[in-house]
Amino acid sequence: MSSQVESPPVGKRESFSYDDNIVKLFVIATLIWGVVALLLGVTIAFQLADWRVNLGLPWTTFGRLRPLHTNAAIFAFCGNAIFAGIYYSHQRLLKARLFNDVLSQIHFWGWQLIIVSAAITLPFGITTGKEYAELEWPIDIAITLIWVVFAVNFFGTIVRRRERHIYVAIWFYIATIITVAVLHIVNSLEIPVSFLKSYSLYAGVQDALVQWWYGHNAVAFFLTTPFLGLMYYFIPKAVNRPVYSYRLSIIHFWSLVFIYIWAGPHHLLYSTLPEWAQTLGMVFSVMLWMPSWGGMINGLMTLRGVWDKVRTEPSVRFMATALTFYGMATFEGPLLSIKSVNAIAHFTDWIPGHVHAGTIGWNYMLISGVLFYLVPKLWNSELYSKKLAHTQFWFATIGLILYIVSMWVAGITQSLMWSAMDDAGNLIYPNFIETVIKIVPMYWVRAIGGTFVLISFVIMIINLYKTAKAGKKTAEKIYEANALDDSSIEHNASAHRKLEGWPMIFAVLSLIAILVGSGIEIIPSLVADKYILKIEAIKPYTSLELYGRDVYIKEGCYLCHSQTVRPMSHEVVRYGKPSNAAEFVYDHPFQWGSKRTGPDLARVGGKYPNMWHYRHFLDPRQVTQGSIMPRYTWLFENKIDYSDLSKKLQVMKQLGVPYSDEEILNAVENAKGQAQGIADELVENGKVPEKIVQMDVVALIAYIQRLGVDYSAVEEEESDEAASVK
Amino acid sequence: MSEHNNEKLDVKEDEIHLLLDHSYDGIQELNHPLPSWWNATFYICCAFALGYFVYYQFMNGPSLNDEFKKDYKVVLAAKEEFRKANSVFNQEFYDKTVSKDGVNNGKVVYEINCMPCHMEGGRGDVGPNLTDNYWLLAKGTPPTIHKVVFGGSEENGMPAWGEILKPEEIYQVISYVMTFKNTFVVGGKEPQGEKVDE
Repeated sequence: MSSQVESPPVGKRESFSYDDNIVKLFVIATLIWGVVALLLGVTIAFQLADWRVNLGLPWTTFGRLRPLHTNAAIFAFCGNAIFAGIYYSHQRLLKARLFNDVLSQIHFWGWQLIIVSAAITLPFGITTGKEYAELEWPIDIAITLIWVVFAVNFFGTIVRRRERHIYVAIWFYIATIITVAVLHIVNSLEIPVSFLKSYSLYAGVQDALVQWWYGHNAVAFFLTTPFLGLMYYFIPKAVNRPVYSYRLSIIHFWSLVFIYIWAGPHHLLYSTLPEWAQTLGMVFSVMLWMPSWGGMINGLMTLRGVWDKVRTEPSVRFMATALTFYGMATFEGPLLSIKSVNAIAHFTDWIPGHVHAGTIGWNYMLISGVLFYLVPKLWNSELYSKKLAHTQFWFATIGLILYIVSMWVAGITQSLMWSAMDDAGNLIYPNFIETVIKIVPMYWVRAIGGTFVLISFVIMIINLYKTAKAGKKTAEKIYEANALDDSSIEHNASAHRKLEGWPMIFAVLSLIAILVGSGIEIIPSLVADKYILKIEAIKPYTSLELYGRDVYIKEGCYLCHSQTVRPMSHEVVRYGKPSNAAEFVYDHPFQWGSKRTGPDLARVGGKYPNMWHYRHFLDPRQVTQGSIMPRYTWLFENKIDYSDLSKKLQVMKQLGVPYSDEEILNAVENAKGQAQGIADELVENGKVPEKIVQMDVVALIAYIQRLGVDYSAVEEEESDEAASVK
Repeated sequence: MSEHNNEKLDVKEDEIHLLLDHSYDGIQELNHPLPSWWNATFYICCAFALGYFVYYQFMNGPSLNDEFKKDYKVVLAAKEEFRKANSVFNQEFYDKTVSKDGVNNGKVVYEINCMPCHMEGGRGDVGPNLTDNYWLLAKGTPPTIHKVVFGGSEENGMPAWGEILKPEEIYQVISYVMTFKNTFVVGGKEPQGEKVDE
């Protein structure tokens, strides 16, 4: 390279090689898990269009497959792609082989093992009930360990580098590794009940805040920063152009990392989270717009003068499109965070539409671009077919547009129907099901769009497989560079340039940058007891209700039903009193949900007779014509497992739920008594077999019938007082 | 050191003075100034954020709850007016509804809204049997049925249909339900409530 500035000849020459085999492994895993994630996505999309696609089996219902889809897409597909891209570029940017080949192998196989254990546990309903963090505690520990292995390997390589300064791609990798570790550990704190069951350390509002601080920043630091890092390496490499602006890199990196972490509460607008935190979530999201676009500008402007490559080079075409969708999604995000827009969009299909503009438009497209660059290089081959790559591109793009547009239409339509009221203060669409039936055609369009994306992915696999197969084996290349010595220190450099030469200090500063927002938002909530005014009438769940709640979590009910009434007239008319923070103090974990495919359940207790629920769980269409909810026939056959019940109450007590020793001791007896009461009433009322008393469905009915009941009985003034505490 | 790029880095004439001498695996960086529109928009967003936060947190801007209460007061007043106007049974309107094909219209309303619980022909399931002469809440007459349908019964899981159905639909469905009365269908639910003799 003529423009390269060689180190002065004084340095000691060293020869080394790169570990590309590990990159190959991660590439293969990316392709395998990608197809799995998309197949699951298409399946659950069709389930929403036609409930019969749930197949009537517990492990194939929406509530169990949806977490599997999200985990597979984020952590398996995107995760493996990130590791492939980072390991490839990291070595080259530092002129050093990865720190330790054994650690690389442990990282790879450990990560795959984690994915496999997720794929086994989630369909069985083994879940913590926290979105994007559903995996149970032993897997959480495994994730932590493997992440540490990754970090040691990554920073170890930095220590052994032969390039003094770290390039912007590595800044983003550093921020990723540090922040994901913090997020995962803090959000996963839980107390085990048994080997595969635990309760979140946090409750209610607190749990909601920690969860969405995590959830939002999983998007930020798992789906955004590492991908920006990859973009900064692979775009300039693919077009052989200098990056547009080093200054912009610095400004947008630090502003992005500092601001992103604050934005989590925008998932909780109009909830019972203290309003100052909600407002912080909103305004930081608005400020995030330009830092996000900084990355897009730097990427797209690097293409200056070589735009023809978007037409001719698949790798460049996919990466440029990815940046465009990134720009769109990061404009839509701040928009959705504005309270009045969020009032319309929250709980609707607009949100999955927005999410998929990111995951398909940005992540999948960028991964495709990276793979089209990487695979021919790694397997020493030429891309098998540009034509196939372009066919893939059109399938993916059209599929994605069908997805986004159908979800805009569905989301806005349904939201307007929910909120429509006449002059008499009555809802124009009082039956929730009307608003569902209206948007089912959009669910079909979305499912077809998703199928297009799946097809595009299969086309890529074929293309890359053929590419790799035609590759010629070569011996591992040996490179030479000067060892790192004092000659590369730039004494007159700018402060940031100096910082780039001190990667460990850089890492510490990144950590501080993300801890500021995290601390200011989360620490006050950890002492939440002080500002949530307790309401005496709100009591812990009975042992049977607690068990029923675990059934609710196991079946993933929270993925389609919320449990929080926002302070809006139409919601209060439809559901009942607005929620109050004091209602959730015993909820480990919280179950507010983020989507209303079905109606809110915060006030459902006592609204229908037990018999209604019995019929409804057996076949929702018996009581709600046109319902798209799956049948839950196994709840009528699975016996209540009383074995852990006392232990569950005991753990809850440890977490601060005021169960008496007597309640813990008599947990099973009390539960059986309550179950008998419900069963007797059912048997008396209809043709219900007596053995129903032993079945899961009775516990679930007990839980559902409890929802909102305590608070509904609270006098208006007391609830007002509690709600006004900030 | 670059292993792949054998071509010369593609740098345009007009930007060569912006090229920095860093190089990472052949990647170099220009040092364009921040785009002015980017800078300006960022500042505007930050100013908005600050102003918004200060207004709502420190300058007594209305909270979401304040705004809700103001809005809900209006809704409650409208609801109260509606309730006053429609909660009392109007015999004249009922007779007129019945004569205007009320039963047939009522059947449609019944099938959509009532059948899930009271079943076809009113034989009862989740809700009570409407074909016998036992009554749980109403007393088998249009005014008493109207009261239950309009206001509902939280205790018994009967929704307040006054908020859901249009006033005339309630009259229509009552006229339809009255056709079940004392038909004692076979396979109906066990009697509930008190016997009403006429």
